[in-house]
Amino acid sequence: MTSVKENVQRALGALAATGRVLTGRQIAGRGATVFQDDVFLVSYPRSGNTWARFLLGNLLYQNSPVTFSNIDSRIPEIYFNPDRSMRALPRPRMLKSHESFQPQYPRVIYIVRDPRDVAISFYHHNLKARNIPDDYPMEAFVPRFIAAEFDKKFGSWRDNVLSWITLRGDSPNFLMLRYEDLKRDPLPMLRKTVACLERNSFGNIDASDEALKRTIELSAPERMRALEKQEAASWVLTKKTRADKPFVRSAIAGGWKTQLAPESVAAIESAWGDLMVHLGYELASASADPKLTVKQEVLP
Amino acid sequence: MTQLSRIRTYLGALGSILLGRNPAGRNLTVFPGDTFIVSYFRSGSTWSRFLFGNLIHEDEAVTFTNMERLVPIIYNQPDRVLRGLPRLLKSHECFDPRYPRVIYIVRDPRDVAVSFYFYNLKVGVIPSGYSMDQFVQRFISAAVVGYADRVGCWEDHVLSWTRLRQGKPGFEFVRYEDLLANPEKELTRLAAAVGIDPTPERIARAVHLSSVSRMQSLEKKQSKDWVVTKGTRQDIPFVREAKAGGWRGKLSPQAVAAIENAWGTTMKEVGYELVTDRELAKS
Repeated sequence: MTSVKENVQRALGALAATGRVLTGRQIAGRGATVFQDDVFLVSYPRSGNTWARFLLGNLLYQNSPVTFSNIDSRIPEIYFNPDRSMRALPRPRMLKSHESFQPQYPRVIYIVRDPRDVAISFYHHNLKARNIPDDYPMEAFVPRFIAAEFDKKFGSWRDNVLSWITLRGDSPNFLMLRYEDLKRDPLPMLRKTVACLERNSFGNIDASDEALKRTIELSAPERMRALEKQEAASWVLTKKTRADKPFVRSAIAGGWKTQLAPESVAAIESAWGDLMVHLGYELASASADPKLTVKQEVLP
Repeated sequence: MTQLSRIRTYLGALGSILLGRNPAGRNLTVFPGDTFIVSYFRSGSTWSRFLFGNLIHEDEAVTFTNMERLVPIIYNQPDRVLRGLPRLLKSHECFDPRYPRVIYIVRDPRDVAVSFYFYNLKVGVIPSGYSMDQFVQRFISAAVVGYADRVGCWEDHVLSWTRLRQGKPGFEFVRYEDLLANPEKELTRLAAAVGIDPTPERIARAVHLSSVSRMQSLEKKQSKDWVVTKGTRQDIPFVREAKAGGWRGKLSPQAVAAIENAWGTTMKEVGYELVTDRELAKS
């Protein structure tokens, strides 16, 4: 039986939803209108997507640097913006999404990150969002991360990554970038991205060395952290979360080596080892005996 | 769209939300105990709702009018209502990582093309006399009708499920053609997935109550009441031939070649012999 409280909550929910429809503020999410010239910037959560939005935003709008307050009018996230306002953006659009494979996305830039680092970042993100308490052990978090208990709709890291690379990996409208490569050697990665964007919808983009370097500077973690300090209280992604925990965290690759317990590393590697190896992430646990989760022939 | 019909759509959507009648669809709440019958369109999923429904519900035979209660589809009722119904649900979604248990039905895309053509004639998406060849082109590029295009083309749909879930616990794969050739055997194999002990009597009853002839006669009586068929052309049936290989008399060689050219590798992977291969072997 449903309680009175639940019914009241449901009624309030329906009223709020109606209000959003009336005022045209219904969040797009999976119902987002897709145009044939759209480019989707997709990744699993905590895989450098916000950083990539800064990089691409600064690349596309070279005259006006990206900040947390203008990012959603340039590369809007589908989960925080109404379809109506996104439809009104200049075309071609670039939209941020965390969905696993979506057949209707016509062009996709997919960012992948070492799941051992994703685990750490996701842990802190869940602290910030108050999904887990301060003293929650990382060792208890990791199995739940593997089972995709947080943000279930995006699937597990494996489901998300594999769904895209196995269905679209060899398509000319799909570009996969590793967070680690973008971090270590951003220039060639950005040039590759520009080539892909120019091939898909976008016109000429200034990809001179100076332009790319400026893009990288404007998207540096230091600048993003400083902007977050000023803008966190108003940015949709951070405004209701714990202000003592930053959204832009360490922004490094390989932090897991010192921050994850060996058993957590082994758990991740035994769950997804073969996909990790395929993506070029070296396994650390000697005991890791990756279960065959991916048949080689399904990988591009 | 005219201004008037836009306003009507808008008010309709508004009313549905206000009254909590928005169909669940992709926003369905998924519970850990749920099982989904998933397939592309026109791949035998209505028949399988009969089969599994009759297998599970021993005291009530499935008809078109009780089907939305016994084996509901996620697109016709709101989440709120679906929460209280048996949780063997039918869905046409492309890979959804949340679905914990899935029975995936695949059908020869050449037969799907023919069946989907007649279905779209029935519901008025394409007019009488529309060319089959032209339809096949739209079918291949998933440019038929919005709700269907959204879940991808036949190949995207099949691969999204098989590549992510094949061989994993909780995933059962069945070909429509095998279900048709030997329903008792396939249903016995799949019964465990829906938590049923497959005694021969129970299986026989389910198959008997789900025969094409029974479904066709039920459709005659109930098509004006069933949400899927009411308001559609009554001269074209929903339950059509229920055959495998009917495409041979209905598709032009060009249409067959187009489908095989687009999806041949996947078709062979699933076990469908290609005409184009056979011709190559002959020459």
